[in-house]
Amino acid sequence: MSKPIIILEDVSKSYGAVPVLRGCSTAVSRGEVVVVCGPSGSGKSTLLQCINGLEPYQSGSILVEGVEVGAKKTDLPRLRTRIGMVFQHFELYPHMTALENVVLAQVHALRRSRKEAEARGRRLLDRVGLASKADTRPGKLSGGQQQRIAIARALALDPQAMLLDEPTSALDPEMITEVLDVLIELADEGMTMMVVTHEMGFARRVADRVIFMDQGEIIEDSPTKTFFSAPVSQRAKLFLSKILSH
Amino acid sequence: MPDVISQNMPFLLQGLVTTLRIAALTAIGGTLLGLAVGVAVQLRLPFVAGLLRVYIEFVRGTPLLVMLFICYFALPALMGLHVTAEQATVLGFVLFIAAYIAEDVRSGLRSIGSGLVRAALATGLTRLQSLRLIIVPLALRRIIPALFNQYVRLLKFTSVASVIGVQEFTGSAMLVNARVFAPVSILIFVALTYLILCLLLSSVGRVLHAYLAA
Repeated sequence: MSKPIIILEDVSKSYGAVPVLRGCSTAVSRGEVVVVCGPSGSGKSTLLQCINGLEPYQSGSILVEGVEVGAKKTDLPRLRTRIGMVFQHFELYPHMTALENVVLAQVHALRRSRKEAEARGRRLLDRVGLASKADTRPGKLSGGQQQRIAIARALALDPQAMLLDEPTSALDPEMITEVLDVLIELADEGMTMMVVTHEMGFARRVADRVIFMDQGEIIEDSPTKTFFSAPVSQRAKLFLSKILSH
Repeated sequence: MPDVISQNMPFLLQGLVTTLRIAALTAIGGTLLGLAVGVAVQLRLPFVAGLLRVYIEFVRGTPLLVMLFICYFALPALMGLHVTAEQATVLGFVLFIAAYIAEDVRSGLRSIGSGLVRAALATGLTRLQSLRLIIVPLALRRIIPALFNQYVRLLKFTSVASVIGVQEFTGSAMLVNARVFAPVSILIFVALTYLILCLLLSSVGRVLHAYLAA
């Protein structure tokens, strides 16, 4: 593990008077997999969206590959091509085929030739097991298939890190595995990832670290083993007992 | 077919061609203008958006005929240029229908969730690119039925142009009637022609919507 690719220092954000992030600090190194968990409304998704500039923050600093995300002169579109993002509800472009979804940003954001982008798109669809669905529109695909295409869309830009915001929360139980398998493979290949998830089995298996958030604060930031065997805070213990007991 | 119709067919067809020309030009111009206005208002472009809202409300609160008179009599007088009746008609109708299309475009844009915009931005597209490549095409697909509804209205509105002397279909038919006085056959023929054209237009809209719907 080398120097951090994402560094957060004392990041705070509020909607009006309501604080959503309070003094969050952490760092993610190249090749590291960090799982972010915590009760709903704890600021996990907001934290992820701040990292690629989808949400502004009021104080503190976020550096991605050394670039301050919140700085006025930062070229956000360029920075975002360096970080892949996957959303809870897939957010595929419904009027385009699977392949077009994967090709679009390659052509328009990275200025790749269409031919090159399509070749790369097909390879990625093949990699997530959906080569046969290249010409299908998202509406005709299952949730699990849509999410795998969304992952391919993010990977198509050759990102340096991936942010995944509850990638399996909107899926039927039988489709969770197919998506997690893709993510496990990515992790094994050394992709840097921050994953907001409640899949604790997945966390145990691939995460190097677990961040636990509550009410906008990072309460724990520990190596995976430590987090599951000996969580420091009461709140993390309570959270774990709730989600592991069922 | 009654003799009055078949004998005057070339003249009536000429009127019909004028009607279709006005409708087509207006549909194209109105859609482009309506799209631009709808996007500008929805994006709340500073200064411009406010002005455009005034325009939309003005048009929606003004009769079509008055709009036509403004374009034929008032505007040329104000600006000191000469326009033909047909040019004034196309201009008036474009300004008229664009205001309604702009509202349709806005509702289409509003129907697209912010999640999709975030996803587009997250892949490194600029705001303008995500608007041009994803949001607007998607919004247009969703409002195809509303758009064709406007085109159908437009096709019928063209008959109003006869008031300022454009020899479109209705106007031509009424000229024929003035000569031969056969209002029943002539008006039934006129009404049926409009009906068939409108039905055709609606079904094109339906097919297009089904084909493009996502």
